[in-house]
Amino acid sequence: MIEVENLSKVYVDEPVVRDLSFFVPEGQVLGFLGPNGAGKTTVMRMLTAFLPPTTGRVVVAGVDLDQDSVDLRRNVGYLPENVPLYPEMRVDEYLRFRADVEEVPRADVRAQMDDVIERCLIGEVRRQVIGTLSKGFRQRVGLAGALIHRPPVLILDEPTVGLDPNQIIKVRELITELGRDHTVLLSTHILPEVEQVCERVFIIDRGRIVADGTPDALRERLVGNPTLSVELGSANGAAQEALEALPGIAAVSVRGEGRFLLEHRADTDPREAIFHLAVEKGWVLLGLAPEKATLEDVFVRLTTREEQTPAPATSEEV
Amino acid sequence: MRKLWAIVRRELISYFSSPLAYIVMTAFLLMQGYIFYLIVSFLNNPSTQAMTPLRLFFGGTIFFWLFLLFVVPVITMRLLAEERRSGTLEVLLTSPVTEGQVVVGKFLAAMIFYIALWLPTSIYVLVLGRHSEIDLGPVFAGYLGVLLLGFLFLAVGTFASTLTDNQLIAAIIAFAAMVVLFSIGLVEQLLISSSAFKAALGHMNLWTQMDDFAKGIVDTRHVVYQLSVGILFLVLAAKSLEVKKWR
Repeated sequence: MIEVENLSKVYVDEPVVRDLSFFVPEGQVLGFLGPNGAGKTTVMRMLTAFLPPTTGRVVVAGVDLDQDSVDLRRNVGYLPENVPLYPEMRVDEYLRFRADVEEVPRADVRAQMDDVIERCLIGEVRRQVIGTLSKGFRQRVGLAGALIHRPPVLILDEPTVGLDPNQIIKVRELITELGRDHTVLLSTHILPEVEQVCERVFIIDRGRIVADGTPDALRERLVGNPTLSVELGSANGAAQEALEALPGIAAVSVRGEGRFLLEHRADTDPREAIFHLAVEKGWVLLGLAPEKATLEDVFVRLTTREEQTPAPATSEEV
Repeated sequence: MRKLWAIVRRELISYFSSPLAYIVMTAFLLMQGYIFYLIVSFLNNPSTQAMTPLRLFFGGTIFFWLFLLFVVPVITMRLLAEERRSGTLEVLLTSPVTEGQVVVGKFLAAMIFYIALWLPTSIYVLVLGRHSEIDLGPVFAGYLGVLLLGFLFLAVGTFASTLTDNQLIAAIIAFAAMVVLFSIGLVEQLLISSSAFKAALGHMNLWTQMDDFAKGIVDTRHVVYQLSVGILFLVLAAKSLEVKKWR
């Protein structure tokens, strides 16, 4: 598990991470979202003892960063952005090196190498030189290296960047499987990935958490009123006003010729009224569907920089 | 200890999987062979003063120094600069190893490579041994001197490599720092009035130190000087890694 209290990082007068607090319980897969420069990598580097925090407390797997940073590193498997590897080494040489450095007991080295090679599906390249591998294999070799010492906590910085769709699916499957017995913190830009893999999502922007919850809860809580998309044939200019006059409608926006987006209060369902309205006015109802907000909408809404920093959408609850 | 050796072994794999290692070794041996040939033919001239070839070979000629000053930065430039550039330093320093272990591991690997570079020159000793009596004392002292100088210069190079993520810059910094260390002693000869300062500089003269070793004199002052300056640079290298990471 990961425990962070009032974590801040300031680079030469410029705060990158501001007073972050969160708790990730054991066995959770947490998605870490945020625009470029939001401070994701900085937070991950502080959690892995690569960067010292300016202020705040970090406890990973029960080890306090301030007390024993080496012991903390023992409990974390970290895959940095861009998967740095030694291109001149062979895959099994590299994994053996990682096993030695990560203090895998000598007697277990062979078994644990075989285990990660199997899990990460890199058996066919184990004697190959890393520099000659495709990006997908390299990503999995990196992951295998991060897993070699069976750390309880895994921190992965954009693990699927640069992969082709098939490889992405494989890596996601692997992460989902790892989530069963590891605490995983995963940063990404790719929102569908979060929906598939993560039980919980953080969105951070300019060093602050702006949202925290399950992907479903985030959608519900943050997008506000439910919306309907309506398409009417042969509707005239009065359609918008007529729709607005219906009970329970909060706003109507025109999406194009005869197409409207209706925001309505959560406690009402105006679909029936829309149907009757169309019949009454002689419009043809071509489409009527609830619009499901995507995580993209949430993300854009929370991290758009035009306005003031949005207030945190949820309390610190977990 | 196991982690340290893992780092050393990994570094050696990198050395010998790049063409650079073989180029350096070949060039080094060609140069040394040529210098040895020059020394032997120079001494064959009856008008030159009597001297043993190995004394000249160990630091008696400017070639020795020139080559050392060029080769050491080439050996050390990669060590940490490349890890920093490729990002593997982040992986290394987030595993349970200390900065000190990383620096010492890298340095030991460079030292092993350096020793491997010098090992074939022992043939010259065998060659001379077939044609004349050789006094083995100065030979061993000469090799000890080479080892100590390597310790000092490689430590400087390791430190230089922690300062940047560019190998070329690391090599240039190492070269410049080594030239400074090398020429400190030479400044002594420019000072006319004798003073404590002049004497101190004299003690730091690597050329005369090496010449003493080549003569078979193992002066503990020289040993202490070279080892302590070397250790100082290794400590600085570890500190520099820590600071760079804190940046």
